[in-house]
Amino acid sequence: MSNAELVFLSVTELGARIAAGEVSPVEAAQAYLERIERLNPVLNAYITVCGESALEEARQREAEIARGEVRGPLHGVPVAVKDQIHSQGIVTTDASKLRADFVPEEDATVLAKLRDAGAVLLGKLNMSEFALGDPVSSAFGPAHNPWDLERSPGTSSTGSGAATAGFLCATSLGEDTGGSIRGPAANCGLVGLRPTWGRVSRYGVDGACWSIDTIGPISRTVEDCAATIGAIAGFDAKDGYTRREPVPDYRASLGQGIEGLKVGVVKELLDPELVGVEAQTREAVLAAVEVLKSLGAEVKEVSLPLAAQAGVIIRTITHVERVSLHPEWLRERPQDHHPNTRVAFATANLIPAQVYYKAQKLRALVRRQVLAALEDVDVLVQPTSSGPAAVMSTEPGESSVEQAKKALVEGGFRGIYSLAGVPALSILCGFTSPEAGGLPLALQIAGRPFEEGTVLRAAYAYEQNTPWHERKPPV
Amino acid sequence: MERLTNQDVASMGKAVGLELAGPELARAANGLNAILELMAEIEVPGANLVEPLASPWGRQEDSDE
Repeated sequence: MSNAELVFLSVTELGARIAAGEVSPVEAAQAYLERIERLNPVLNAYITVCGESALEEARQREAEIARGEVRGPLHGVPVAVKDQIHSQGIVTTDASKLRADFVPEEDATVLAKLRDAGAVLLGKLNMSEFALGDPVSSAFGPAHNPWDLERSPGTSSTGSGAATAGFLCATSLGEDTGGSIRGPAANCGLVGLRPTWGRVSRYGVDGACWSIDTIGPISRTVEDCAATIGAIAGFDAKDGYTRREPVPDYRASLGQGIEGLKVGVVKELLDPELVGVEAQTREAVLAAVEVLKSLGAEVKEVSLPLAAQAGVIIRTITHVERVSLHPEWLRERPQDHHPNTRVAFATANLIPAQVYYKAQKLRALVRRQVLAALEDVDVLVQPTSSGPAAVMSTEPGESSVEQAKKALVEGGFRGIYSLAGVPALSILCGFTSPEAGGLPLALQIAGRPFEEGTVLRAAYAYEQNTPWHERKPPV
Repeated sequence: MERLTNQDVASMGKAVGLELAGPELARAANGLNAILELMAEIEVPGANLVEPLASPWGRQEDSDE
């Protein structure tokens, strides 16, 4: 295998070869940096590439290997994180001109944990400005989808999706408020896990919505996703809302199968009339359910009555909370926002308090509905999105009230589990027809609080019995 | 419910220190009307008596005490 081909290994394959001394961490970092140099001008996945520091970190990991010290499956593995995650001494921009010069004095806990696990930081990834769900709002230009450069890589962790799918990092971290990990994973044909709220520390991550934000992995395989979440999960005294729940060895239980697993198919999110799910997406998800059934899962239909309304409920809450973080910026430096961000923030400022309060009440009901459903089944499944990645438009969005409503309904596919605070994973479950571009389609699997292991196990069983993850994007 | 006009939204913006005009005002009005109308359509019996959920659970240190 040539050095250039190292980038096509999974995290666990690469980590195993590094641990065995067959591959040097420096060779792995160089392979990725060379590919970044060649393809980042096309994908625009990185805002900052840490070439020198990555090689220095790789040399340190190499020296540890020489001493017989292996920290774990991520030892020497090149990774990248969304530019919302603080990195000591490295600019952290939130993809905004307003933060273009912000250099944190310490790492976010998730980055510190990745480093403790031996990972090598390649750089900071592009995103929607301030993690708002807009594919073109980054002050550094939009990231592009490796499956079709004209299409959105998914928001708001745009670069995490593009870089991971384009083999510009081995695995990445995103931040998910209303679906910002699962959306990019779906659009880019990857595995993205939004963990339980409180499972992963948010310390040192610029907030979008304090009561809903989570940080999690976007990876190419379920096992890579399990290795990554295993490195960052757990209680952190710096984030008082993380819980002292034990963190299991997620990789160890992946292969236990799903015989007898109770799977609930959410009927509302497969209803074209109600939520606009497209035919190819619906067919792919129902075919995935058949695969789960063939593997021994017990499948039943379940109802989440507020599923179609979850999008507007979460948008109301996240909009209000997001603009409360830096209210002065919009008034003092409006010109330094992308126009789409400026409009969204202005809209958010005008949401009446009683509407926000109603949304918080409805959130409590959504959570009850989701948790009640999860008393009868182990996991819930449905599409991650209504359809494949859309073509990115630089034209101003929401040109009519009806268009704005459609976007709000779309947010419900992912927003429902954000509101409930439960873990939810997106996994590739097929492709559109060649005539429709051969684009990735995605299945979403949600589970009970702190049962990420069950969600990963279901996803792994599905992945290992389907061929989709073997296909590579044309870039 | 009656849809807000651009002028309505401009006045609301002024009340919170935002000067909205032109195409951006129209887009803000579209977004706000969409949120207000969809939220108004949600009617769940007894929802007014539900305690709002600020976060799924409290701080760990409070649980430790």
